[in-house]
Amino acid sequence: MKIKTEKATIVFNVIGYTIITILTLLCLLPFLLIVSGSVTPEKEIIAEGFKFIPNQFSLDAYTAAFSNTGQIVSAYRVTIFLTLGGTALGLFLTSMAGYVLSRNDFKYRNSLAFFIYFTTLFSGGLIPWYILIVNQLNMKDSYMALLLPPLLSAWNIILMKNFMKSIPDAITESAKIDGAADFTIYWKLILPLSTPGLATIGLFMALGYWNDWFLANLFVTTESKYPLQFLLYKILASAAVLNTNVAGNLSPDFRPPAETLKMAVAVIATGPIILLYPFVQRFFVKGLTIGAVKG
Amino acid sequence: MRQDKMKYFSWFVAILMVAALLSGCAKSSNEPLEESPTTTSSDSAEGSEGKLDTSKKVELVWYLLGDANKDQKEVMAELNKMLEKDLNTTVKLNFTTWTDWQTKYNLLLASGEKIDMIFASTWSDYYKFANQGAFLPLGDLLPTYAPETWKNVPKQDWDEATVKGNILAVPATYPEYTPDGLVYREDWRNELGLPEIKDLDSIEAYLDGVKKAKNVTPINGKAYNEVFTLFKAYNDYQQIGGDSGVIAASSYDNPRDIIAYPFTPEFEAWVKRMKTWADKGFWNSDTLSSQVEAGDAIKVGTGAVYWRNAPGAGGYIVDMEKNNPEIKLGYFPFTRFHNYVMPNLSVNNAMAIPKNAANPERSLMVLDKLRNDPKYYDLLSYGIEGKHYSIAEDGKYIVTPPANLKDTKNFVPYGIASWGFRLESMERVKQASGWSGFDALLQEFKSESKPNIFAPVLLDYAPVKSQQAAVNAVIQQYGLPLMMGLVPDVDKAIETYRKQLEAAGVNDVLAYVKEQAYAYYDEKGMK
Repeated sequence: MKIKTEKATIVFNVIGYTIITILTLLCLLPFLLIVSGSVTPEKEIIAEGFKFIPNQFSLDAYTAAFSNTGQIVSAYRVTIFLTLGGTALGLFLTSMAGYVLSRNDFKYRNSLAFFIYFTTLFSGGLIPWYILIVNQLNMKDSYMALLLPPLLSAWNIILMKNFMKSIPDAITESAKIDGAADFTIYWKLILPLSTPGLATIGLFMALGYWNDWFLANLFVTTESKYPLQFLLYKILASAAVLNTNVAGNLSPDFRPPAETLKMAVAVIATGPIILLYPFVQRFFVKGLTIGAVKG
Repeated sequence: MRQDKMKYFSWFVAILMVAALLSGCAKSSNEPLEESPTTTSSDSAEGSEGKLDTSKKVELVWYLLGDANKDQKEVMAELNKMLEKDLNTTVKLNFTTWTDWQTKYNLLLASGEKIDMIFASTWSDYYKFANQGAFLPLGDLLPTYAPETWKNVPKQDWDEATVKGNILAVPATYPEYTPDGLVYREDWRNELGLPEIKDLDSIEAYLDGVKKAKNVTPINGKAYNEVFTLFKAYNDYQQIGGDSGVIAASSYDNPRDIIAYPFTPEFEAWVKRMKTWADKGFWNSDTLSSQVEAGDAIKVGTGAVYWRNAPGAGGYIVDMEKNNPEIKLGYFPFTRFHNYVMPNLSVNNAMAIPKNAANPERSLMVLDKLRNDPKYYDLLSYGIEGKHYSIAEDGKYIVTPPANLKDTKNFVPYGIASWGFRLESMERVKQASGWSGFDALLQEFKSESKPNIFAPVLLDYAPVKSQQAAVNAVIQQYGLPLMMGLVPDVDKAIETYRKQLEAAGVNDVLAYVKEQAYAYYDEKGMK
């Protein structure tokens, strides 16, 4: 049977779709400008500014960017490895901690939770943190410096704990009666039931690892260990510095990378994750709805 | 009951953590201080025996400010081969890159990381770090471990590197003049029969002529540098200790007459004139938010004037000759307003040793080698002969790409941030990228050079931090549009600007700068 749509609903839908379309276009246009900017000849940009449809088509910027292919490829490798490894390991540790804290029969769970929470109130500051990692832990110029700091966050653990609290105790108990040990319960029952929570936190973590350049900036000195975002930022920063007064003190032979090169590098760096995003996002949204329905 | 116990427990844990935190802090900040004297004393004892002991193999960690080159690995491998043979040492050369480099540089020095040598410079806060004791005093080490350098560097240069009686850096021996100036299209000036540029009126006439006849915006892009440096040079206002905002000495001959320039009649006259310039369309009304370099506009024929310092102008002009030979450029250095120029301080580029260095002696030995042995100097500065360069027929300068190279299209030139250990006598590249007009300019500068008395004044603004921040905000909000003539009513804008500056506490900042500057002048025995 067809439900009759009211006029107001139609009007609402028309307005809604129009606004959403405009917003979508607004979000999309900058990306389009980056892509078209990356294939515009350098001179045209200087003379006439960025345009959506360039008069001439040129792949010079990409040729220049890929003249150092090795570095981009290795940066990709580092970033992908970090994102996958860091997220998997981080999820495992976060969920284990969350699970333990959510179990009612763990006597000191509140104290431990407070202990973890407590660390979010204070921060040693940048310099002590740097000293700890470089002088005490000796992780300068090591992948560990990129992997470990974002691995566990107190906030994620608490989020996970609260999520797992919503799983009924009865499930744990019944499994216990069937003879399952704690780890089996966690692995076989709690984890599958926590997919929505894992998806949320996992996405946060993955984005964090993918977008991180600060750690590499501080700790990594070998070029082959640069992650992608840092490499990209480095190119932009070099250009920015060379356009300021500091450049007056430097050798005039240095030439900042061209506008088009910046655009090309941006496309190279963001392209894959944009293509990947819809797939991950579908899973992510599904996960969220499961959680919502189950309550 | 249980609840209570738990509460106590969590408090206990909390207190424990605070205690751990505090003790951890204390330890890490004390450690480096205690360590450094012991290392130096034991090692200088070694030196006093007379013969330099290199029996222990050492790996040094060096830091340069800037980016590494694509072939850095290859060059370092070559260099380390030589170093290992000569000094039983290898160097691990690290680069800060330009990403957030101030933070990184701060951390490197503040954390007490083991670094044997680092680039230091006035523009990376050499005097601030030196005052905080971040660098190792080199006075006792230099004669023993870097004898050549100790002999070669002029006394004046050592003096400029001296803070609180200690030499804390080895300055580059590369006298540089980087006065501001304007690059302009000389071919248009000739074509339009405009007067030769030699003062403010001729600049105005040129801008006006170009604007009318060619119908282009003369400064087509960011124009603040052009106008502000012109303002300073025209009125001979000298900023103190780097960028001191609106505070300046009123002229070179009156270093003690320190003023806030927005309160002078000269400033009033200037911004009125700039208002007419802006109205005539010498720059765009969006110039303050523009991200376009005026120099890029010249390349495509839509601009005529660009601010550059002298060596930068050389690079720009040479580049233009190569890529757009139809455009002819001229250069007008602002030094011609008052006919003198101040050289950069020697510590504008230098190498220093952080106080926690593991092997300061060996580091100095390597630096000595680097500065005085052409084999080392050429390798690290210019790369590998035959691959990155070849020696020109005159035997002094280099040719890039190398003469025998077939595949010149894919040639990537070699160059690194070698500013910290440059020597004029060792250089194989002409200053200002070999611009033909630069030699004459350099002669002019050398003949009218006066000592730089403003840059070494150390200002950290610590006592007037909030006032300084407020003043800077006022400059951004009111000062910039006024300077660019982008206000409807100049008189009213000046009044507002002055009022806002006073409210922000400009007089406190002025008093602070005066106090510090006078202290420096007294110390140097200046009137």
